[in-house]
Amino acid sequence: MTPTSSDSTSTPVALEARGLGHSYGPREVLGRIDFAVRRGEFVCIVGPSGVGKTTLLRCLAGLQRSTKGELLVLGERVTAPQPGVAVVFQDYSRSLMPWSSVLHNVTLPLRANGVSRSEADRRAREALTQVGLAAAVVHQYPWQLSGGMQQRVAIARALAYNPTVLLMDEPFASVDAQTRADLEDLVLRLQHSLHLTVLLVTHDIDEAVYLSDRVVALSGSPATVADIVDVPLGAERDQIETKGTHEFAAIRAEVHGLVRHAATSGSGSGSGAEA
Amino acid sequence: MTIQTEPSARADEAPDAASTPRRLGRLSWLLIQTGTVLLAGGVWWFASTLFPPSTLPPPAEVIARLGELAITGGFWVAIAITLGTFALGLAICIVVGIPLGLAIGANPIGAGSTRLLFDFLRTIPPIAILPLLLLVFGAKFEMVLVLAVSGAIWPILIQSIYAARQGEALLAEMSRSYRIPRAWYIRHIFVPGAIPFVMTGVRLGTTICLLLTVSGELLGGAPGVGFEIANAQAFYDNTRMYAYVLVAAVLGLIVNGGFWAAQRRLLRWHPSVRREQHS
Amino acid sequence: MSAVRRTGLIIALEIWLPVLLVAIWWFASESVNSVYFPSLRKIMTAFVENWLDPMSLLDNLGPSLQVILVGYGTALLVGIVAGTLLGLVTPLERAVRPIVEAARAVPGVALLPLFIVLFGIDQEMRILLVAYGAAWPVLLNTLDGVRAVEPVLLDVGRVFRVGRVRRLFRVILPSAGPQIFAGARISLAITLIIMVVAETVGASGGVGYFLMTAKSEFRISDMWSAIVALGLLGYLLNILFRIAERYVLRWHRLQQSRLGGAS
Ligand SMILES: Nc1ncnc2c1ncn2[C@@H]1O[C@H](COP(=O)(O)OP(=O)(O)O)[C@@H](O)[C@H]1O
Ligand SMILES: [Mg+2]
Repeated sequence: MTPTSSDSTSTPVALEARGLGHSYGPREVLGRIDFAVRRGEFVCIVGPSGVGKTTLLRCLAGLQRSTKGELLVLGERVTAPQPGVAVVFQDYSRSLMPWSSVLHNVTLPLRANGVSRSEADRRAREALTQVGLAAAVVHQYPWQLSGGMQQRVAIARALAYNPTVLLMDEPFASVDAQTRADLEDLVLRLQHSLHLTVLLVTHDIDEAVYLSDRVVALSGSPATVADIVDVPLGAERDQIETKGTHEFAAIRAEVHGLVRHAATSGSGSGSGAEA
Repeated sequence: MTIQTEPSARADEAPDAASTPRRLGRLSWLLIQTGTVLLAGGVWWFASTLFPPSTLPPPAEVIARLGELAITGGFWVAIAITLGTFALGLAICIVVGIPLGLAIGANPIGAGSTRLLFDFLRTIPPIAILPLLLLVFGAKFEMVLVLAVSGAIWPILIQSIYAARQGEALLAEMSRSYRIPRAWYIRHIFVPGAIPFVMTGVRLGTTICLLLTVSGELLGGAPGVGFEIANAQAFYDNTRMYAYVLVAAVLGLIVNGGFWAAQRRLLRWHPSVRREQHS
Repeated sequence: MSAVRRTGLIIALEIWLPVLLVAIWWFASESVNSVYFPSLRKIMTAFVENWLDPMSLLDNLGPSLQVILVGYGTALLVGIVAGTLLGLVTPLERAVRPIVEAARAVPGVALLPLFIVLFGIDQEMRILLVAYGAAWPVLLNTLDGVRAVEPVLLDVGRVFRVGRVRRLFRVILPSAGPQIFAGARISLAITLIIMVVAETVGASGGVGYFLMTAKSEFRISDMWSAIVALGLLGYLLNILFRIAERYVLRWHRLQQSRLGGAS
């Protein structure tokens, strides 16, 4: 499979996996994974639950070292968390510090990286505004907010960090449908305005197709890239209009086929890929 | 197995974390731990060469003396008295404290009426009444027993009240929404829910009970291991004193071990066990 | 209007039994006339004399407060530092586990004679003994708390390249805070016990000294006044502790009351 698609071959690669493999002890979870994400691209990785998406994302984030192959992020081999890479974790209730205010949650990474207090405050407030949180919440504790708002805080924390690459692990899996749609559009908007490179992991095929420029479908056990599907739906997307188009339905069906094929021919890891 | 004190380290820990070496087998750990204990013995031995010999005898001498003591009857009598007083004291605290606490806690008026009182009584250092007990009972086993009970009952009582209050709050909601029969509720929800809280109290009570048993013997001069320690020191027989301190440590280990074994039986199912506080 | 009445009712509910018991004690002790149980009136007179007069207060309480402040403070410091170290460096903790288990199993007071032999009978000995005995609950609770930190938060710290020191003070220790406080509360109780015991040897002041001297000189009312003073001291220290806890663990209290609903 070729990691590059027809157009825009000139754009530099932000993130690349070469023959990536990972085993937990004797258990091989990721087989040989190859794909690349170019600067400014929005790529989603889909696959059923338990296929190894989180493992892949943790390797990319430098949180764990892959047992085989190599990973390049912004031109560097990943051995530890890289500067310029921010992560939004799946479970907002566990990824925000309950003892710190919203503001302190967002400023901690900045302060830790040598940003002055006043500058960190300014950037944090700006990021919180960008994700649509009112100034009133900055001094509240995260657990005083709704789930959707908490995930907005987590996104703001990532944005304030000023990343080039944003990694997201099923960021909308535990919020209600309406909030989820809002947050999807929020991330799309931010990705455009800030020229972010986004790699988002999800088990939801609709979400993957709606959000991304390309979808990487993982399947099998150990997981490999079943295929990489281009999503030529344009830059402007709309929850109702885009999802109503024939192209959307066609791509959705294609990805569905890839994942379902995996579920039936693979190790029987369940049909967790239903939207 | 949920009771293990160490949460198993996650296999996927930090690539940069030097603190996760390759897994060592059980045997290797046993060897390492034996090594640490020997090392500690070595430090003791080394320290003993620095102090005047009567102050800090070397470990071998203390162990030898312990061996000599172990063939005397008085040694075992002292241990039996201390362990017996402790066990009886703890048993009284459990038998009185748990039902009383549950009854008080299950009744809002009871809980309210006793809150301030118990809050005050439990903060009184129990050792404060030692002289009074000495006057009333003399340097006897009863004095130590009353002292131990008067200290160890509070954590057990307070935790039981707390357990019952939690249970009652739940009952109020449950019975409103599901009309569950009270007997069924008590058997299946109230009691299992209360056990972890109560066990926390019992663990604290265990520590305090042993501490006070030894304190009473040591200060009050009632027979037991505590008395033997004080007595050896009064005769400037430091080797014997150290031997009895070692005995006290072993008693502590036995009591702790006993508690964990009991808890493991009772709370096999409870996931939060290892996150509870230590005493 | 009902809020005021409610508060009044709650106060009445909580206060009636203590008031009743004190009243019973007052009248019963007036009429019983036992040597060991002087009347509450006499106890109160002795209390005013020994524990409210500034000069005698300094003699009787000063040394004890020193032992508590320095000894308990040291216990907290050592317990938190050592507990954090052992909690973070798993292999070290496992290697020294037998020693920790044995050392913490010794009832602190059993070491009194040993500490006398090693450190003499002065104030330092008492402080060291309190520090030793009271350090264990904090140490073990800190260890557990540090281990129980949400792994996702550690990941967050690493992803955003938060340095080790900041991670320790902003993530690990706050997360272990509730556990550490639980340990510190137990340590406080143990501090008072060991303090009294240690003050019975070689001291020339302090609550424990006063208590035992009064007993051996058969000044029963004075002895009782010391019991009352110790009770009040324990209660006041607990209130101070609670204030500190409420302040430091504000987030935890609020979060618990939110999760637990009414309780
Ligand atoms: N730390 C670990 N140790 C052992 N096995 C793990 C660990 N983390 C995940 N796994 C296993 O690896 C597989 C992939 O997990 P994960 O990457 O979390 O999948 P996904 O995110 O796609 O649901 C699962 O079967 C899981 O049980
Ligand atoms: Mg996952």
